[in-house]
Amino acid sequence: MQKHSASLIAIILVTALIGHGQTAKPPIKTDSLKFAVIGDNGTGSKEEYQIAEQMVRARQQYPFAFVLMLGDNLYGSDSPKEFVKKFEKPYKGLLDLGIKFYAALGNHDDPARQISYEKFNMGGKKYYTFKPRNGVRFFALDSNYMDRKQLEWLETELKNSGSEWKIVYFHHPIYSSGEKHGSNVELRSTLEPVLVKYGVDVVLAGHEHFYERIKPQKGIHYFILGSSGKLRRGNIGTTGLTAKGFDQDNAFMLADIEGDRMSFQVMTRSGKTVDAGNITRAEKTRQVAAPR
Amino acid sequence: MFLQVVVLAAAFAVSPQQSGPAKTTNPAMVEFEDRLKDYLKLRKKAEAAAPPMNKKKDDPQSIVAHERALSSAIRAWRMNAAEGDIFTPAVQKVLVAAIARELSPKRGTRGRTAREMILGEGNPRHPESKSRIVLAVNAKYPDHAPLSTVPPSVLLKLPQLPEGLEYRFVGRHLILFDLKANLIVDIVRNAIR
Repeated sequence: MQKHSASLIAIILVTALIGHGQTAKPPIKTDSLKFAVIGDNGTGSKEEYQIAEQMVRARQQYPFAFVLMLGDNLYGSDSPKEFVKKFEKPYKGLLDLGIKFYAALGNHDDPARQISYEKFNMGGKKYYTFKPRNGVRFFALDSNYMDRKQLEWLETELKNSGSEWKIVYFHHPIYSSGEKHGSNVELRSTLEPVLVKYGVDVVLAGHEHFYERIKPQKGIHYFILGSSGKLRRGNIGTTGLTAKGFDQDNAFMLADIEGDRMSFQVMTRSGKTVDAGNITRAEKTRQVAAPR
Repeated sequence: MFLQVVVLAAAFAVSPQQSGPAKTTNPAMVEFEDRLKDYLKLRKKAEAAAPPMNKKKDDPQSIVAHERALSSAIRAWRMNAAEGDIFTPAVQKVLVAAIARELSPKRGTRGRTAREMILGEGNPRHPESKSRIVLAVNAKYPDHAPLSTVPPSVLLKLPQLPEGLEYRFVGRHLILFDLKANLIVDIVRNAIR
């Protein structure tokens, strides 16, 4: 635990230095699985570009291997020029480094075009799974159209997954304190029993244009990150669900998995850290360490 | 008649835990499945005629060109298609009844949330995402228009569609949507009542 805390402090310190434009040493651990998360990013706005620039800066110190996209990857038209304006240009710095993006579909996305688009790495599927390394598996779902076929697929994949970590991501949050949308209880009643039954560890969602970390629900850690392009300022209401919320600026997440521990850190477009902590994965006692 | 509709709908009400969709013996629904199969055969022919996508699919131009060629070919093949060709009146009754049950206020929060999922932001007729859509068979679904979300409770009660075809809503109207061709294949007007 002391070792993990030290690592986290190192990450936070590094980020603080990045935010002030100073050079910093990268985190000591080089063998952990590092990834980034963005959601509701595809606006083509100044804010999306600023988040992308901050991600490039963060990567110099925190070399994440891929980025998860939580949906609403392209707002408005999905015409060819919009793919450029709202994805290829803002994330050019990361794409040029060979960083892969793994997209989930949001309610503003054109499924047929996005699943065929190679740079979203969806393999022609609206829902899919990938395993970047032994012990960790990701499941991207299409929460816009959760039909019987998809639910059966998810059950099968979760059941067959021998992975230690199961991280599921999709667009509509099933727990949320958003005043605009709130918890999607309809989706929750269908999906949650499957997530719980097969021991999913972490669920990431977007749709609400803010950041929220939810208090663990039935042993699962829920995060909402729908502010990487859009922002709905002051929209987090009081629900008793919130472990940490931030609705004052755009944000993205960095995460790091090593063994039974996942560290996370949420940063704004100016590089300010607004939440950070550890999730310790244990069969019976899962808990999130308090942010520092 | 009401009882008949309930019985028809129940034939498709399969829980996700069950191993597969129920086989229907109802003649109207058997015909529905046949018409869907016919449509897919036609689409397969159209797909063969359309220019292939680039092997390296990182060029959105090629994805869009393929989609447009596909929709043009389908439109040409189905020049005389009309509303109700696939969603026949008997099928429409089943669909409308199943949707009504799932969105009923009697289902409390779930019913309300399901309704909000369909008619809320994301539905192309919602004030926040209002988009002009020509609601007609063979009409292209506009590039800029969002696709409505369809709640799982509703999808689990509707007959399963083959790969590439989906139920979606434009306002209160249900459409049969061809995902690959970006095309409206059929319509049930005022499916949400």
